[in-house]
Amino acid sequence: MSAIPHLELCAVSLCYDEVRALQNVNIKVPTGDIVALIGANGAGKSSALRAITGLRRVAAGEVRLDGHIINSPSAQEQTHALVRQGVVMVPEGRHVFPHMSIKDNLLMGAYTRRDPARIASDLESVCERFPRLRERFHQHGSSLSGGEQQMVAIGRALMARPRLLLLDEPSLGIAPQVVRQIAQSLVEINRKDGITIVLVEQNSRMAMSLSSYTYVLETGNVALEGPSRELMNNDHIKRLYLGG
Amino acid sequence: MLQVLINGIVLGSVYALIALGLTMVFSIMRVVNFAHGQMYMLGAFVVYYLYGQFQLPFWLALPLAGLALAVVGVLFNRLFFQPVLASAKREENSMLMAVGTALLLENLALTLFGEKQRGVPPVVDGSFIFGDISEGGAILTYPNAMVAALSVTAIAALLLFVQYTRPGRALRAVAQDKEAARLQGVDVKSITTLGFAIGAALAGLAGGLLVTIYGVNSGIGSNISTKAFIMIMIGGAGVTSGAIVGGVLLGFAEAIGYDLLPGSLTYLLIFVAMIVFLVFKPNGLFGKPWG
Repeated sequence: MSAIPHLELCAVSLCYDEVRALQNVNIKVPTGDIVALIGANGAGKSSALRAITGLRRVAAGEVRLDGHIINSPSAQEQTHALVRQGVVMVPEGRHVFPHMSIKDNLLMGAYTRRDPARIASDLESVCERFPRLRERFHQHGSSLSGGEQQMVAIGRALMARPRLLLLDEPSLGIAPQVVRQIAQSLVEINRKDGITIVLVEQNSRMAMSLSSYTYVLETGNVALEGPSRELMNNDHIKRLYLGG
Repeated sequence: MLQVLINGIVLGSVYALIALGLTMVFSIMRVVNFAHGQMYMLGAFVVYYLYGQFQLPFWLALPLAGLALAVVGVLFNRLFFQPVLASAKREENSMLMAVGTALLLENLALTLFGEKQRGVPPVVDGSFIFGDISEGGAILTYPNAMVAALSVTAIAALLLFVQYTRPGRALRAVAQDKEAARLQGVDVKSITTLGFAIGAALAGLAGGLLVTIYGVNSGIGSNISTKAFIMIMIGGAGVTSGAIVGGVLLGFAEAIGYDLLPGSLTYLLIFVAMIVFLVFKPNGLFGKPWG
């Protein structure tokens, strides 16, 4: 593992109009790890992802990718340019293109790439990973169930060949057995493909069991952090986030 | 009857081309390009000058009309639409600006080209005759046939481009979900500009085609825009299939009306029908976004 973390948020603050969504947040994501961000609604989890992907400029502090600043109050990489650098996000609510076939949705994931042969083979491996998608290859995104849409959204992100995969609430509104399947695939993506993952979840149990390190956000601050295994035994965490 | 059918097909195919350009811009920017008809008018003038006056071959003048309007589209988008859309907090701002661009183009045209009606020499001469005209036969002039054939070709090319190419997919993605498109690495600003350029180019092509039949004057823009609005309201704004169906329906309504009714009554009835239709189907026939 290199000395510089793959991704680092240094004293990041972020505002929406007058509301401060993140305040002086420090997060480190080492290369090859799965890091979880958990917390209640409005705690700032999604805002952290927006700061990383450049969807929103930070008000203070900076976001670094491999040591290079990608978001600061004075300079900000464009979201689409970050995709070329391997930073890819699966947004909350999946945001599958509703009037596009699954195939076209997946091909959109490879938008920044110019290697048709490998795009074709990656399309094949996404279908192997999620066989449901092959069955519905030519159906429109809007005709899928929530779980299937999540598979499309993750598959679409993989088509970009990411180095850093950011997932915003992948378990939201999805049947439990599908959540298990998706969790399993995330572990595979991390271990087999060596992709670093930042996992934002309200499903704290799932997030902590998959990740090696967890940050707990409360009202825009990092309230607690530590190795996931340890935090799972923390009384505060048990009471507030694991339901007893 | 056959004659009405032929007229409907000819009109419908060009109208569909006009409607597709307008719906393209709407689907991508959620802005009604009020200057669409004026862009049509400019395309007609490009062909009038290049082909009619400077005697370039029509086959060169027509693509140049499309290209010239694509350039106008890029400039309009970058100079007017994107800055206003970026800063506007209300829809009225962009709408008023769009109306302003229409007035700008119309007055520029009046200043540069005057108000005279102008025509061009026929590109092709002759006609197909079906049956005996005095006994229910019909006539399809070569110019009309050419306009219909080229419109259908342009529409097919556009559909293939949007459906099967990488920039075409990006256009659809931006129309359906801008933020998700950005997250796939799409430079939304460039693709939006591309969409506007294509929309304007389609207006220019339609103008360059129809000038060979109807001629052109500086004031026809708002008339064309009104027709284009009717078409996309019938079909559902922002939907490809809707624009095509809307264009064909209006083309046929016009062909039937002109055959059966005296002069201006046709559009009066079309507007009344339109209002009744919108009461029951406010989103048009296919009320979903571009896909």
